[in-house]
Amino acid sequence: MSIKHVQEYRDGELARELAAAIRSVTTGNIRLMEVCGTHTMSIFRHGIRTVLPEEITLLSGPGCPVCVTSQRDIDCFIALTSLENVIVATFGDLMRVPGTVSSLQKEKAKGCDVRIVYSVFDAVEIAAENPDKEVVFCAVGFETTTPTVAASILMAQQRNIPNFSVHSAHKTTPAALGALMETPGVAIDGFILPGHVSVITGTDGYRGVFEQYQVPSVITGFEPVDILTAVLMLAKQAAEGKPALENAYPRAVSQAGNTKAIAIMGQVFETCDATWRGIGEIPESGMALKPEFRSFDALERFDLTVPDVGEPKGCACGEILMGLKTPEQCPLYKRTCTPAHPVGPCMVSSEGSCAAYYRYN
Amino acid sequence: MKEETVVLDHGSGGKISHSMVSEMILPAFSNPLLEKLDDGAELEINGQRLAFSTDSYVVDPIFFPGGNIGDLAVNGTVNDIAMCGAKPLYLSVGLIIEEGFPTEDLKTILSTMGEAAKKAGVMVVTGDTKVVPKGKADKIFINTSGVGVIPDGVNVSGQMAKPGDKIIVSGTIADHGVTVMSSREGLKFGSDIQTDSAPLNAMVEKIIGSGGDVHVLRDPTRGGVGTTLNEIASQSGVGMRIIEDSLPVKGAVAGMCELLGFDPLYLANEGKLLAIVAPGDADKVLEIIQQDEFGADAVIIGEVVAEDPGKVFLETTIGGSRIIDMLTGEQLPRIC
Repeated sequence: MSIKHVQEYRDGELARELAAAIRSVTTGNIRLMEVCGTHTMSIFRHGIRTVLPEEITLLSGPGCPVCVTSQRDIDCFIALTSLENVIVATFGDLMRVPGTVSSLQKEKAKGCDVRIVYSVFDAVEIAAENPDKEVVFCAVGFETTTPTVAASILMAQQRNIPNFSVHSAHKTTPAALGALMETPGVAIDGFILPGHVSVITGTDGYRGVFEQYQVPSVITGFEPVDILTAVLMLAKQAAEGKPALENAYPRAVSQAGNTKAIAIMGQVFETCDATWRGIGEIPESGMALKPEFRSFDALERFDLTVPDVGEPKGCACGEILMGLKTPEQCPLYKRTCTPAHPVGPCMVSSEGSCAAYYRYN
Repeated sequence: MKEETVVLDHGSGGKISHSMVSEMILPAFSNPLLEKLDDGAELEINGQRLAFSTDSYVVDPIFFPGGNIGDLAVNGTVNDIAMCGAKPLYLSVGLIIEEGFPTEDLKTILSTMGEAAKKAGVMVVTGDTKVVPKGKADKIFINTSGVGVIPDGVNVSGQMAKPGDKIIVSGTIADHGVTVMSSREGLKFGSDIQTDSAPLNAMVEKIIGSGGDVHVLRDPTRGGVGTTLNEIASQSGVGMRIIEDSLPVKGAVAGMCELLGFDPLYLANEGKLLAIVAPGDADKVLEIIQQDEFGADAVIIGEVVAEDPGKVFLETTIGGSRIIDMLTGEQLPRIC
């Protein structure tokens, strides 16, 4: 997408018209959850809250992959760095996430071999260039990242690069929405559904959850006009009392999604129960390597003993991810938990809601 | 500092760097000249005011489109001195070279430094060379220090921004940051983006010579325009309003930032300055900057306000508003 094309979705006049339309259809209080961390950042970056009527509350959901990664998985990533002859490859966002006693960044400062990569395929290349070392990729993310990690494993297999492995903390988005709706106290009048994830899952990926819970749901992109369009559609659905699953991002999202990516994901991964930070275990919401690819599973390959110590005391990341609390209601927010010294991952990830509140509010 | 060891964030120019400066470095050297925290120190010797500044360069890669570590090191210190309102005159150069470094590369870097010094009209008058065993440094590190003369009557400082002042940026932002990021190993994007590394002393001389009421000059290098504006807002005890639509960003740079999840407001510039000017003189100073070789794209991006001291607000394209905070640590690429 060219930057010129992006600018069309940042058109100030169009955005103002949409904001006016939202004001005219909004009759009562509406609580909308943007599921995706990229939406959260975009909402802050463009000052979208400041143009919406006060009846509309935007809540940040469990859609930042770093934020929902369990403390144990983070501790596992960190433990891998201390193994002899191991290079840990990771996306940059995980570097500062605090584990129970350390972080990847601190281990790197101590001399451990931790490398930031921009693509999982770079990690495969590092493995190919260092045949006498083990290269482990810290795999976090939703349907947007899982297919590329699956493809990297197929590539490592095909090119016979046995010293490459992944620790999968992958998660699926629709399962989280279902778990949210089952959580007592959660009150959501509409979902702003992710753009990138939906490119893979298609509208169909949410059909089951939508039919079960009948919550207004609109898939949209990340530009201000996209987000305001989704808010308008959700406000209309709420006003009319007619929940629907709609797609405001047809330039990128189809009904069936990216079937090729879904197929590669299904070839390498299978669903498993997974622990979400602050939320707990959600059945069938994680992605584990299938038995025939277990040789690429870092946890199978290395003998890691990482105790399950739970999350830091007082950290409200879980309640924040479910829209039960705003970051300001967390006792640690801006006190002991700041971007410079984060306690929970919602503060460290660039797409975490606490970091977004801290940075932009 | 809470950390037991120094981490890369301590060198980012953002909040974590600032905590190291205020908690460890200032107490060690405590004196009023240092505590002003401008780009260079202002000294007075026998009635002559001098600007004195130092900077070290560790950029990776050392060669990148439009320049290399050598001209960066010369221009960087030239600009730091110029931002004190001074005319830079003399530089020192310290080289720390890793054993095994190709002499051809060293020749190229030194010749680029020579050309850069010539272009800026400064002389390299003293230097030092150290070679360290392989693996004890990364290819080459360069330190430059410099002195310049502050003309009579010139008084610019990060402490002098006043409500009503206009904020001018001398051209497109984030060019250097994006160039280095994209030429760094592992990022293989084809594009014609190149560093904006350039000496700004001639531009500053013209600005000063115009007689316009200029309060602050600052080059938004590491940490970018966002961090630099925060520093000035906090030094001067004022607020700022920046208009998003007015921020000049090249199309390719904006595209790369979108792709990598970077905010151009926090990416380094090596040939741009921010000038904070009394409202009555803003148009005149803007015109002077635009006529300079390196200032054609200069624009007014906002103004200084009395409200919200220490804070910088952005009025967004869609009519919303948000804070531009100081960067915490290194910007890390997003993962989804």
